Amino acid sequence: MYQTLLTTRYLTSRVIPLIAVAAVALCVALVIVVVSVMTGFLDMVQSAGRTLMGDVIVSYGISGIPHYKELQKQLESDPNILGATPIVDGWGLLRMPYPDAKAKQSETVQVWGIEPESFARVTDFDSSLQWKAPTNNQRDWLLLDAIKNNADELRTGMNDDQWNAFVETVNNASSTLNFAEVNLWDDIETSVSKEQWNAILSLDVRLAQPELLLEQGLALERNGKPGIVSGLHVSDGNERQRDGTYKVIRNDYWWLPRFEGTLTMLPVDSQGGIIEPESIIMPFVNEFQSGVFMIDESRIFVPIATAQSLLHLDEAEIIDVDNPTEVKGVDPARATSLLIRGVEGIPVEQLREVVRTIYDSFRASLPTDSIVMPPPRSDPGLSINTWEEQQRSFTGPVEKERELMRTLFSIVYFVVAALILSIFWSIVFEKTRDIGILRSIGASRAGIVWIFLQYSLVIGVVGSLLGLLLGWGITKNINAIHASMGNPPLAIAISAFVLAGIVGVYTFMKGRRGLMLPIVLGSIGLVSFAGIGALILFIRQIGGLVIWDASVYYFAIIPNSVDWPSALSTVGGAILFCALGALIPSAKAADTDPVKALRHE
Amino acid sequence: MSELPILEGINLKKTYQLARVEVPVLHGASIQIHSGQWTTILGSSGSGKSTLLHLLGGLDRPDEGGGDVLFQGNSVWSQTNRQINRYRNNDIGFVFQFYHLLPELSIFENTLLPSMLAGSKYAKAENKTRATMLLEQFGLGHRLSHRPRELSGGERQRAAIARALVNEPAVLLADEPTGNLDEETGGEILDVLSELHDTGLTVVMVTHNNDIAKRGNVVVNLRGGNIVE
Repeated sequence: MYQTLLTTRYLTSRVIPLIAVAAVALCVALVIVVVSVMTGFLDMVQSAGRTLMGDVIVSYGISGIPHYKELQKQLESDPNILGATPIVDGWGLLRMPYPDAKAKQSETVQVWGIEPESFARVTDFDSSLQWKAPTNNQRDWLLLDAIKNNADELRTGMNDDQWNAFVETVNNASSTLNFAEVNLWDDIETSVSKEQWNAILSLDVRLAQPELLLEQGLALERNGKPGIVSGLHVSDGNERQRDGTYKVIRNDYWWLPRFEGTLTMLPVDSQGGIIEPESIIMPFVNEFQSGVFMIDESRIFVPIATAQSLLHLDEAEIIDVDNPTEVKGVDPARATSLLIRGVEGIPVEQLREVVRTIYDSFRASLPTDSIVMPPPRSDPGLSINTWEEQQRSFTGPVEKERELMRTLFSIVYFVVAALILSIFWSIVFEKTRDIGILRSIGASRAGIVWIFLQYSLVIGVVGSLLGLLLGWGITKNINAIHASMGNPPLAIAISAFVLAGIVGVYTFMKGRRGLMLPIVLGSIGLVSFAGIGALILFIRQIGGLVIWDASVYYFAIIPNSVDWPSALSTVGGAILFCALGALIPSAKAADTDPVKALRHE
Repeated sequence: MSELPILEGINLKKTYQLARVEVPVLHGASIQIHSGQWTTILGSSGSGKSTLLHLLGGLDRPDEGGGDVLFQGNSVWSQTNRQINRYRNNDIGFVFQFYHLLPELSIFENTLLPSMLAGSKYAKAENKTRATMLLEQFGLGHRLSHRPRELSGGERQRAAIARALVNEPAVLLADEPTGNLDEETGGEILDVLSELHDTGLTVVMVTHNNDIAKRGNVVVNLRGGNIVE
């Protein structure tokens, strides 16, 4: 009873419990944020590698694996394998639609020729596509493009007045859509007849059926033409927003699915010599985001047949060199690699062995008189690896980093524990005389300990729950926080300077009376606020602060999901350390003879 | 007197360890306190008078083999911890030179504290009534909700006396109760103690002041850790 009274009074009549709650909350939040981000980072590394590559990869350098369809069939018939998909991969130059000037920009891209259907079975291709349906702006741009590209056709169905009004609407829209929302869709629909509107809609299937945008992406084609699905960071037109979403600059003007790109690749002959470059103009059908920055900034997907044709890996006749009119046979199409996904639960190493066995039997199953044989397993150019082995150069440093971070975590934990212990130690130490008083009027040792245990538990529970809330808030919004650090609002700098001014005046007024504490606290406040303001101005001056550089950390976004098991154990640990921090000194003080405790200053 | 002393110190020895030096304070002091007496222990600074009072009040332990304290004929220091706590709480009321009130509690709560510690001795309402009554008796009826820091030294000491009396102890031990007060206020505190003594309370007071010592009806001189009659 008296313990509860004292605990309540100790908690409510002093500032130190508030400082302790704040310290516990900050420590808990710090650990939660750091652990969550690092765990999320490692999870992303693990899952990204798998989702983009499958579990096991069979690959054979530049000249590719012939008869790969047969290998794919044999692989897919194995019960351990969920799917297998062929890839033709090579480097190319992609001529982009921007800038507006005639000289367009080209990007170096890693081209993956894929077979969309089986590729989606092995990887998470379908969920990685960025554009599910066009936004209103994007739909307006598609409408505008369709009208401009088919103006002659539309002109024939209208009289002069109609046509002039129509042209005016379209021109107005095209000059303002760059920077402002316009209601082009409704304006056009109301200004033309029903038949004309239907005729306009039929110019681009995506107008009447917006869901086709996604379907075209999944099929890598539009109107029967092979299309490109490019990584979200390939185009300079996509801008990441603070909330992690993407926006296309100039009000969706540079939205890639409006345009076509020219892909150029360098085929190589069987001896490794370079043949004449091959180019093809293809529409962009969609964009994808894997989350791995290195991939999103350089990879594009095209239909496998396109890549094979550009790299001369498609089916070809073998001609007798001595007698060019005589066809010796057919050189089958090739794939540079096959990605294989195992059924749920199968270890990748076991799957790799299964694939190796199947590869051997595939090779043995081919007719012995085949002109072109796939390479034997002894060929050093052939590799059958797990995704981890394949990506060693990518995951290796990350694993090292993980070990380093684990060591740092344990130090952080110790620091936090020591901090909490020392806070409670000093709180109890300061109360030693009270303990002496209580003991001298008959309080038991256990009763004394219970006062401080209650006290520490309240601080521990409140502090760590606040910390959990804070940690959760920071982790969830870490990308927005990072983005605002990259471009801190000027308003914050101005507010900081205003606060510094207020604190300065207050300090001056108080300081005239000669009291030291207001001068010290005021000066700290003044320097802090002015410092924050100056720092923000400096950051703005240097063009923003980027702590999480996507090109260094591989991922475009900072992992922002709370690692709940770690978070909850941190909360539990903090409460435990608070309890221990109070238990040890209060037990020590309770054991002291009352007279000694009373003498405590 | 042939009557059994209510409180008795027998051959009490106490040595303090200061850094690496052992400082003997009491060399075998014996004292008998009889019921209803006001005993003053007179001695100069460092004579060991406060230490003697602490040993009698169960706040400090005599040296190993350094005598014993008997309360109503029973050894205090051979009791269990629980019994010693009960002795401090219930049988003895202690008044300190520096009041030793808990700063976070009001005067009323400070006064009530020993009875809250005692638990079941009184019904809650009775405790409160007695605490209020004592504070009113000592002229603090209008100060019940005030914190110690809001009170003068004399008022604090009166509150400390009220706290010492709330559990109706058999003996009131006062360690230089006026030592921190001016003469006039100190006189008021002594008047309070006189009144209490007149009602039959046994009082043991420590002082270094001869005039104050005269208030008691038995004066015990302590010099260099020994009782000198």
